[in-house]
Amino acid sequence: MSMIKYIIRRLIAMIPVIFGVLTLTFILSRLMPGDPVLASLLARGINHPNQEHYEAMLVELGLDQPLIIQYFRYLAELFTGNWGISVSIKAGEPVWDLVWERLPRTVDIAIFSILIAAIIGVRAGVISAKHRNKSRDTIVRGLALVGVSIPVFFFGMLLQYFIAYRLSEVLGFRTFPAIGYKSMEYPDPPFVTGFRIWDSLFSGQIYLITDYLWHLILPVFCLSFISIAGITRQSRSSMLEVLEQDYVRTARAKGCKEKDVINTHALKNSLIPTVTVIGLSFAGLLSGAVLTETTFELNGVGDLLIASITGLDYWVLSAIVFVITIMFVVLNLITDVIYAILDPRIVY
Amino acid sequence: MDQDIIKDLEEEIELEPEQELEKPTTYVFSWLFRNSKFLAIPGLRDENLTLREIEYEKQRSKRKFIRRFKSVLTIIGIVIIFLVITLVVFPDWIAPFTFNEANAIWAGAWDPPSAENPLGQTEFGRDVLSRCIYGARSSLTIALPAITFSVIFGVIIGVIAAYYGGWVDSVIMRIMDIFLAFPGLILAMVFIAIWGQRIEYIMLAWGILGIPFYSRLIRGNVLQARELPYVEAAKVAGAGNWRIMFRHILPNCIQPVIISFTFEIGGIILSLAGLAFLGYSDPMMIEWGRDVDIGRHHLYDAPWASLWPGLMILVTVLGFMLMGDGLRDALDPRLKNL
Repeated sequence: MSMIKYIIRRLIAMIPVIFGVLTLTFILSRLMPGDPVLASLLARGINHPNQEHYEAMLVELGLDQPLIIQYFRYLAELFTGNWGISVSIKAGEPVWDLVWERLPRTVDIAIFSILIAAIIGVRAGVISAKHRNKSRDTIVRGLALVGVSIPVFFFGMLLQYFIAYRLSEVLGFRTFPAIGYKSMEYPDPPFVTGFRIWDSLFSGQIYLITDYLWHLILPVFCLSFISIAGITRQSRSSMLEVLEQDYVRTARAKGCKEKDVINTHALKNSLIPTVTVIGLSFAGLLSGAVLTETTFELNGVGDLLIASITGLDYWVLSAIVFVITIMFVVLNLITDVIYAILDPRIVY
Repeated sequence: MDQDIIKDLEEEIELEPEQELEKPTTYVFSWLFRNSKFLAIPGLRDENLTLREIEYEKQRSKRKFIRRFKSVLTIIGIVIIFLVITLVVFPDWIAPFTFNEANAIWAGAWDPPSAENPLGQTEFGRDVLSRCIYGARSSLTIALPAITFSVIFGVIIGVIAAYYGGWVDSVIMRIMDIFLAFPGLILAMVFIAIWGQRIEYIMLAWGILGIPFYSRLIRGNVLQARELPYVEAAKVAGAGNWRIMFRHILPNCIQPVIISFTFEIGGIILSLAGLAFLGYSDPMMIEWGRDVDIGRHHLYDAPWASLWPGLMILVTVLGFMLMGDGLRDALDPRLKNL
């Protein structure tokens, strides 16, 4: 019960942050140089607009209103799901459709990456701590250091060049696809949720799922490698700390197997700080997702974001920022809840 | 015996005579600069130690510091940083082409490595080796001012927020939360789209985006230090708020900032490369990230054009990370601050 109360309290505490982010987005988008009216006129094919065209478009976009009214209208539209019409990327298309067409892929690679990174990172940290200062520890630490230092787009290109291209040449068959999220000849499944896996499942086209996952392997590997590094480092150091505690010595003294000591006595306690790092790395993961999408040409929300900044599409920009913020805030909440489950000493 | 030690300590710790005319911020940083060697001694400011123990600890931990710092990986890191700094300072003497030649338009393009172009050519026949060498300069010239900006402002804001507490703290920290809730890359893109693709604006964008991190880092420590007896003693002695904040509390809390500074240089070079990769860089400069982006479209017929600049980013960042790792192991043996 206290948990539900705690979640509600956290949700209320997040409201100012969400409003702050939205206000900041509004201010920043209105500060951008360039004229969205002209941009949208050009996007609709009116190359030589006259005064009438301009004023009509101004009214249509709602930019003739005072800023304060624009601000409240913007907030109201975001929360009611009416995210406006795209002006320059795909003129006339509702922003909601545009975002929902691309967001699922970003969410997919982010979720897969964070899951894989969490599992492998914690395991690698435990192994590294168990064999402290041995060769295995050195290898894991060295890899983690390289993972922290490597630019995500450079790692993606190494994968594309050496695995998708060179290895295929050597082996004589196609190993992994280098770009894209589906094979050319495969169709899109009928739209239900927007998430390709579920849509394919609903329409019974299982081969689409395997094809999709096959395409996601390299991007997910690329993106998770970056997050694994941070998680491994945290997991290693907290595991080292836990292994020096009295109860670990007690467990060893009473004759537990080393495996049980690590997995049942030490692991859960060492996870507490690691969970925080996993939650915090999600913001970095989203930045990385933008770069990974560009490298692997996944056509995700990152490309849309860049296009909206270059094309002065305020509505698309604010919708994406809104979605990302909500995702981030919800993920922080989940982190805190997991934290509370892992550490029963914390009372709310 | 004890009197001598006290005198020595007073001489060492209070190196600077009282100068009331100096501005608080000026004397903080001059003080830090002169006394930074003491900040590396873990036991020095532990109030539970006697003077004799402090003296003992000082000698011991100096030796320990050097011993811990002398690992192979740290030395590799320092060598890498040294090489990169050489590239930053003397590119004209090292690179086979001058800056203008490396930025000019030549007859050929995308040629493989040859005697003239040891690492091959990128677009417009530009030499990859020269561009790799000149790229070091732009990376570090943006990263260092940006990070200095964020350290100075982040530390000042963090100390003020934690020291005054109450509504000041909550307002400042809510604003920092808002900045932290954004993925940094996206915010930097928006900032640079607003201000324009100039080097000073890129510096400023990253400088602003680094502030929340440092103010959070120092805030936690200041919150603890605020309650310690020496702050009370300073208050009783009649010190003003600024003096307590920046001469008494700050030197005791600055250590995690020093540790993370080296890491963050690596991190900011990485983010900078990411931004340049997305096309947000100063077009007048040679940047590794942009070279990778240019070479990306010819990855299969001219891999050298994109893989070498990418490798340069990796090696540079790795150097700073190795150095940061060594520094952390040496300064913070219990790994409190990860």
